[in-house]
Amino acid sequence: MTERPTEVDSPAASADATEAFNRYVIPELEVMYRTARSLTRNQTDAEDLVQDTLLRAFRAIERFDGRYPRAWLLTIMRNANINRARKKRPDLLDDPDLTFERSVDFAETTGPEELVVDPTFDASVTDAFAELSTDFRQVVELVDLNGLAYQEAADILGVPVGTVMSRLHRARKRIRDHLAEHGLDSAAALPRGATR
Amino acid sequence: MKLFKKMRGGLSCDDVMEVLQSYLDGETDTETARKVASHLDECTDCDLESSVYQNIRVSLSTNKAPIDPVVLDSLRQFGERVSRGEID
Ligand SMILES: [Zn+2]
Repeated sequence: MTERPTEVDSPAASADATEAFNRYVIPELEVMYRTARSLTRNQTDAEDLVQDTLLRAFRAIERFDGRYPRAWLLTIMRNANINRARKKRPDLLDDPDLTFERSVDFAETTGPEELVVDPTFDASVTDAFAELSTDFRQVVELVDLNGLAYQEAADILGVPVGTVMSRLHRARKRIRDHLAEHGLDSAAALPRGATR
Repeated sequence: MKLFKKMRGGLSCDDVMEVLQSYLDGETDTETARKVASHLDECTDCDLESSVYQNIRVSLSTNKAPIDPVVLDSLRQFGERVSRGEID
């Protein structure tokens, strides 16, 4: 598995590999799992995908230069996911949109954010989000819900960063317009005041 | 939006609307970010628009489906075993 000239020629991992893995990969676990959930829409599949990604990452860790671990891991995950989709449904090739079919279950919602948002505003955002097309919803999920950067979302979807940006901005604009239709756009700023 | 023609922070309101979301996502270069910030300081309309987008973002991220800590923990344990070369 490793071609490194290590003194201890154990069949297990080299100390370097273990250390690199713990430093670069383990801290990204939650993002990986969230992303996997967005991609697979299914908890078991998401866990499988993360495990597969972890194994692939470990095999490649000694060739990894330590820069942008998240982007590196998401690329690995993307490939693993394509592979997995092919195995499952050989007729569905490379269409990332098909892997984002159901919307997020907003029924069970609590988050770490302690900011109070007007519940009417919140409900309206949720409605508007649910009405988005699959393409739009997936970028909002990856960036706003999962916290990925534009480039990271582009990597996992296999599209140019400009595509992520335009989908995301149009998606949020739709949500914003939906709020305006319900008279919530200017009131929205009031409950929490200026946050900037 | 009668102030569209006015330049603030070296940008018109149209310019700001163009880059506002990228700015809020921290995806603009520092020079643009500086100009947008100074425009928002002086322009109530754009500042309000900015608050709307910030609130949308907070609302979306607050609604984020929770992660089951047990699952995360089992993945971490799996990861640690992988890192020791115990699984391949
Ligand atoms: Zn303005």
